[in-house]
Order: sequence, then C-alpha cells, then structure tokens
Amino acid sequence: MKQLIVIWDTLRLQMKNSFVRPMYRFCLIAAPIVQTILLYEMYKNSGQDNFTTYVMLGGGLMGLWSCICFSSAGDINRERSMGTLSLIFVTPANFSTIIFGKVLGNTVLSLGTLIISFLTAKIVYHAPIMVVSPGFLLLSIFAAVICFITISICLAYLLTLSRKTQLYMNCIEIPVILLCGFVFPVEILPVWVLPISYALSPTWAVKLIRLSVSGVDNRMEYFTILGILGCITMIYIVLSIFLCRTIEKQVRMKATLEVS
Amino acid sequence: MSAVIEVRDLKREYITTKGWVKRKKEIIHAVNGITFEVQEGEIFGLLGQNGAGKTTTIKMLITLLAPTSGECKVLGFRTFGEEDNIRKRINFIFGGEMGVYRRLSARDNLKYFANLYHIDFPVASKRIEEILDLVGLSDKADLLVETYSKGMVQRLQIARGLINDPDILFMDEPTVGLDPLGARMLRDIIKKLKEKGKTVLLTTHYMYEADELCDRIAIINKGKLVALDTPNNLKHMVNGISSIEVLVGEASEQLISEIKNIRGVKSVSASVNEKGNIIYIKHKSDCDISGTLFDVLKNKKITSFTQKEITLEDVYIQLVEEN
Repeated sequence: MKQLIVIWDTLRLQMKNSFVRPMYRFCLIAAPIVQTILLYEMYKNSGQDNFTTYVMLGGGLMGLWSCICFSSAGDINRERSMGTLSLIFVTPANFSTIIFGKVLGNTVLSLGTLIISFLTAKIVYHAPIMVVSPGFLLLSIFAAVICFITISICLAYLLTLSRKTQLYMNCIEIPVILLCGFVFPVEILPVWVLPISYALSPTWAVKLIRLSVSGVDNRMEYFTILGILGCITMIYIVLSIFLCRTIEKQVRMKATLEVS
Repeated sequence: MSAVIEVRDLKREYITTKGWVKRKKEIIHAVNGITFEVQEGEIFGLLGQNGAGKTTTIKMLITLLAPTSGECKVLGFRTFGEEDNIRKRINFIFGGEMGVYRRLSARDNLKYFANLYHIDFPVASKRIEEILDLVGLSDKADLLVETYSKGMVQRLQIARGLINDPDILFMDEPTVGLDPLGARMLRDIIKKLKEKGKTVLLTTHYMYEADELCDRIAIINKGKLVALDTPNNLKHMVNGISSIEVLVGEASEQLISEIKNIRGVKSVSASVNEKGNIIYIKHKSDCDISGTLFDVLKNKKITSFTQKEITLEDVYIQLVEEN
C-alpha cells in the first residue's frame, strides 16, 4: 500500500513538474501537430489507402517517444541539477518505485500526443480515419504503453549512471524513431539494421498498432507479434531489475547522483 | 549513552580521468582514514576548510556514498549494505538553495517527502503544520517555491529535514544563506532537538555557531582528523597563546613584518573594515610584547587595542595551519 502511495504521489508530481516546462509542452502539443502536418504532406501522394491513419499514428508515436525521451531520461538530469535526485535516493521509499512512478506519470501524460495527432489530422485535413479492429487497437495501445514504460525505466536507470544524460538522450531520439518504424515499415531498412530494429520492443508495438488499424484478418499473426512483444518486454523487465540492483550500488560508488 | 555513529579508518576516494587519447586517472583522497564516534543525544561538529572532506563524510553517513574502505556505521548498521535499516531513522539538511521542487508549493514538497518516508497521512498532516510553523513558513506554505527568497528555501530545507522526526539529523552548513534571525531560529531548533534526545551532526564555517552548539568538535584537514574534543578542551590545546587585536589607520606590509619580528609573536594577520585596519597578533602568553608593540606602532594612529580570549577560530586556524 505504501509503495502504491509513493507511485501515485510521484506520478502526480511528475505530471505537474513536466507540464509546467515549456520544452515538455512543445514536445507534447506542438511537436505532434507539426509532425502530423509534415507526414501528411509527405504521404498524400504515396498512393497508399488509409494513409492518414499511418500519419496520425506516426505523428503521435514520434511525439510520444520524444516526450518519453526528454522526460523520463531528462528528468534524471533535472533532478540531479535541482539537488533532489540524491534526496529521493536516500529516502526509505524504494528508488525503483520512485522511478516507476515518474515513468508512469510521463507515459500517461505523453499519450496526449496520440490524441493531438488524431485531432490535427481530423481538423486540418478532415482526414477519414478508419480503424478496422478497434478492440485490437485498444489492446495494442495498452501493450505499447507497457513497452514504452519498460524501455523508459531501463533508460532512466542507465542515465542515472552518467552525468552526460543530455548528450545520450539526444543521441537516441531520432535513431529509435527510424529503427522502430514509427513512420514507415522497418522492412525497407537495410537488412543489417533489421536485427537492431527487431531487438527494440517499440518496433513490435508499432506493428501491432498498424495491424489493428488495417484489420486483424489473421489472429495468429497478431498474437504472434503480441507474443514477441511480450517476450522482449519481459527481457527488458529482467534487465530493469538487474540494472536496478547494479546501478543503485554503482551510483553510490561512482558518486553520480549529484552535479560534480 | 551509546554510540549511534561509528566511523573507523574511513576512506573515500574519487577517481577522475583526464584527456581523450591518453586517459590519465587521478585519485583524490577526499576522506583519508578518519575515526570518531558520536554518542546518542550529542551535538557533534565537523569543522574544516572547503574540500577538507566534511561533506563527503556526511554523504557516506547518510547512505548516499559508498566508502572506499573502513567502517561507517549509523545506529549500529553499515551505511553501505544495511542502508534500509538506517534511512527511515535519519534525515539531513544541506545548505544552499538546492534540494526542493521549485514548481511545487512548500506544503506539496513536504507532503511528497512525507510519503517517501512512509509517514501515515494524519501524522504527516499534523507534522507538516507544526514544522511549517516552526520554520516560519505557515503563511507562505501554499506559494510556489520558485517565488521564495534564498532564506525561505533554506527554511523549507530545514522543514524537509525534520519531516520524519529523525533520530539523527545531519546538517551540512545549514545556516548558509540564512539571515541572522533564520540562523538563530535554526540554532534554537538544534537546541530543542538536543532536549528531545536527538543526535545532530553538523558542519559549519561559523566558529561561534560550533562553539555555541556542539558538545564535541572534530577538525578535519585534507581528509584527516587533526583534533577531536569539546570546544573548551580544544581551546586549552592552544594554551600559552594570547591574542591581541589592534585597530590602526594604516597597516603596511612593512609594519606587519616588523610586528612579526617581535620576540614571542607567533602569527600576524590583517584585515580592513569601515573603521580602519585590524591587525590580529598571536603571541606566547609568557612573553609580554606590549612594550615592543607600542614602540613599533608609536607613529601609527591607534584607535583601539584589545587583549582577547582564545576563541575556537584561533584554535581552528592554528590546527589547520600546523597541518
């Protein structure tokens, strides 16, 4: 119960703290609008049916990833600069519980990018948005949220180890968008890149969402992808637990919880 | 009384690397084998210059840093490996404006930390009101911290440090940034904590503060402990030394040099204030230097001449200079 209170309170604090930052508001509100418009203009002559759904989801997912990148990861740096990272670390509350609360808060708030992207496509282009399998889409979005939460926790832990957080989060933002096929199918990437794409859980989450939008004719295919996503997410969870145990010791040995 | 803090041959090194191609490792010995104990209910002071190792020692004690070697125990538990038994019973206050969520109100900051310390809601609510009142922030408790002055942020830091009613409170230069009223308020809080049987370990650069508050004081220099005793006993360590302060119109280097050459003079320093130049002279008590000193100063405009008691500051300066 106490852990749940910590998660809930951290989630609220995180949402409050994130939303008041202009950069976060830009990532949450402005970026999905701009991305949706740009993607629409790029895709409108592609000859694909139902491309607006592609555009809406692509814009939304790009915004979601940017928000996660600049919040879950960037928050470690912000807390470090504010001097609060060390304070929360030495409280009796489990550090991993606090990190989970932060990531959950960010992810929930960041889901707003999908809504903004949807509204942009609808209002600006009066785009017809067809979701053939809405039930599967809901399941896919839920799976995607879990996948983004686990990847964010791994990132947040890894970035606790270093003071060069800003550099790393800038380095990973765009490559993940490209590698995970947020705006185009990963199959068009060079073959040697594909193993990296397939090792990243968002790639499978995006596949699930696309399949739900275009219609799940083959349930076996859907659940196979869901199974792969589940397996990779489990690997990330195990990795998070390992990182949590290792990094909580390492940060105290390397003294990286504070600004040097 | 039992020891609630046990530190034995404690060392902490920081490793830094320089260069891109040939990376050079540099080891900094921040704390270099210190040993001390703090008894329950004691107010214990750690004094030392900037970089002496005080803050690193506190960070190891509050479980934020791992020791490189040696023993570091709080409430009988190792600070690295058994920290879960310690964290709920201690808290700390760092000086300065960091360590608060500026985009939250003071009350929200305290509520959040109360939750992180697993304090039940009714207890937390009551305690938050009491603490806000104690630090004089009750009427500003719902304003965002970003609108606070430096002193108010520092008061909030103090409030946060008291949120879990800790058995041991660690304070690292807690009066930095506080106005005289705020500093007095904090000293009163520390005295009240002592009355309640709490243990306080504090570092400060204000010697009068350490003298007024501390039962015992440890002086650290370059990561090593150079003295540990009660303030009075520390003053006796420099027995045989007397101090004179002279306020003069002019204090040239030649004058300082002439005073230094007087037989029995141990050290001379000077500073300037709005009234003129103050010359501080330390001399052996068994040498009466006043006659020779007046000869040296005979053409100078002397505004005041004071024979002073040895202070903790004198002891501190002497010990640090000797080491």
